[in-house]
Amino acid sequence: MFYRLSGVYQTNYAADRKLWKIPADRWQVIAVLVLALMAPLYVSPLYLGSYVLPWVIWSAAALSLTLLMGMAGQLHFGFAAVMAIGAYSSIHLVRAGIPFEIALILSGVVSAVIGTLFGGAALRVKGLYLVMATLAMQYLVDWVVVNVPWISGGAHATLRTPAVNFLVMPIDSLAARYWLALGWAVLITLFFLNVKRTSFGRALVAIRDKDFAAAVIGVDPFRTKLAAFFTSSFLGGVTGAILAFCYYRAVTPEQFGFNVSIQLVAMVLVGGLGSVIGSYLGAGFVLLAPIFLTNAISSLAAAGWVPVSQNFLSHLPLIIYGAMIIGFLLFEPLGLAKIYDNIRKYFLVWPFRHAKS
Amino acid sequence: MSGDENVLVCDNVVRRFGGVVALKGVSVAVKRGEIFGLVGPNGSGKTTLVNSVTGFYPPQEGRITLNGTQINGLKPYKIAGMGVARTFQNVALFHGMSVLDNILMGRHIYMKPNPLASFFYPWWARKEEIAHREKVEEVIDLLQLAPARDEHVDVIPLGLQKRVELARALCAEPSLLVLDEPMAGMNQEEKEYMVRFILDAQEALGLTVLIIEHHMDVVTALCDRVLVLNNGQEIAQGPARETIANPQVVEAYIGKPRNAA
Repeated sequence: MFYRLSGVYQTNYAADRKLWKIPADRWQVIAVLVLALMAPLYVSPLYLGSYVLPWVIWSAAALSLTLLMGMAGQLHFGFAAVMAIGAYSSIHLVRAGIPFEIALILSGVVSAVIGTLFGGAALRVKGLYLVMATLAMQYLVDWVVVNVPWISGGAHATLRTPAVNFLVMPIDSLAARYWLALGWAVLITLFFLNVKRTSFGRALVAIRDKDFAAAVIGVDPFRTKLAAFFTSSFLGGVTGAILAFCYYRAVTPEQFGFNVSIQLVAMVLVGGLGSVIGSYLGAGFVLLAPIFLTNAISSLAAAGWVPVSQNFLSHLPLIIYGAMIIGFLLFEPLGLAKIYDNIRKYFLVWPFRHAKS
Repeated sequence: MSGDENVLVCDNVVRRFGGVVALKGVSVAVKRGEIFGLVGPNGSGKTTLVNSVTGFYPPQEGRITLNGTQINGLKPYKIAGMGVARTFQNVALFHGMSVLDNILMGRHIYMKPNPLASFFYPWWARKEEIAHREKVEEVIDLLQLAPARDEHVDVIPLGLQKRVELARALCAEPSLLVLDEPMAGMNQEEKEYMVRFILDAQEALGLTVLIIEHHMDVVTALCDRVLVLNNGQEIAQGPARETIANPQVVEAYIGKPRNAA
């Protein structure tokens, strides 16, 4: 009823493969997009710069990672290293005088090449061993970035991003940085949705679900996995560059440490493997839940509602946050995306009970 | 049909697993347009022979040719690209996809997956997707899968899953279709349906089929010729009905009478 399915027919194959077949979904997407575009007008700069902007960028990062982890089923625990390569190469490329737009693409290519080299070596192994191999990448890249002054400027150095223009828009104001990040997130999202409905995406899922059956159908497992590593690392690299230019604006090695990789994996898992909306929800949850919990608990404590020691009080939000992650994954192992999907399906057929996928 | 032309020729194929010799020099020739049965008791090497053909267990000795080209030693995906499609004894569908997407996977050897094409979907990938979708819909019609098209494969019954797997294999327009126990775990009615679908598909598409099957009623109903294996060796080969009645074949399946009068 809320979605008005009556009269919605697809009469040719092109229409049947549309991204949003139900008008209500289409309106939702447009509404969210308009709200996101106008965010600088109605969100205070403090919230825009410290909540919304990182949320958008980390969602793009989670999308890049979930292409590899969710769709192709290849675990990657060194994705922050991929983003670091993108961030550092974009800064050095811009400093070398290359236009920002081209530097973005080139930094993606650099990440993709290095990421694929590691991926290619790591692909001789599967599952937990692949986790170990990608962890090795994380530590190697960390070490190289810290110890090669030519890249990072030294262990404790901070690299400032130069002032740039994107096409005609100077990336200086908060709104401009936000719009650039948003544009990139929208681009990745469209790409991801299109991958899902084409042969490339199907090959990735086939490799994930049953690699022997995929081979017998004519999918080259090794090449497909490499393509997944390449594409995912490319997107990750550009996202790293966007993160450096739009959010951090001054890059240090520890911004791309091991814990960041784990956080990315958490975003992907909590959001739901291989899901677009899940990447946004997962990134939002992992980034914003601790902040809101801390704020809520400190205001409760200020009102005298939480009679515990100051020491315990500082850990309480983390405890609740951890419990929430476990709770969500127990309640719905397929992540926040599945919870959203359940709610949507409920309203899709309301007041009746059973929805067809 | 172009006469007695052989599609698949296995010449003296030997496959060992450590000390076990699973195939002890098996030779077989499958002619274009026929349904060839592969029977034998459990552990006789039927599936190993099929896995040798599809490239999972390349034979250590012997030669396998498809339409005159040697294929032993090639990777499974290469052999698939040369026109061998198969189904599995335990259904091997992709559980993260709908029935339609699973069957579309069958067209993979004709498609050019490419992230850039996906990115520029309206200008690049869409045409290809729709062209192949039309092909897939023909097979869906043939196997009467239309009502299940949009379902997820893990929620449909086993009989239907096996039919989806057959559809996926048919979409590759194979020059050799290998069916590994397509009737395993089915009831009589589902078996009859499946036989009908295999015969329909063979007639409509002019297929050459190599089929492993345990149900003798199915074998005699379907197959033009059969090869009987026991302990990795051929014990009989020839027209289905006579070969199944061969005393040696009966002995391999149910043993020798203790005091044959």
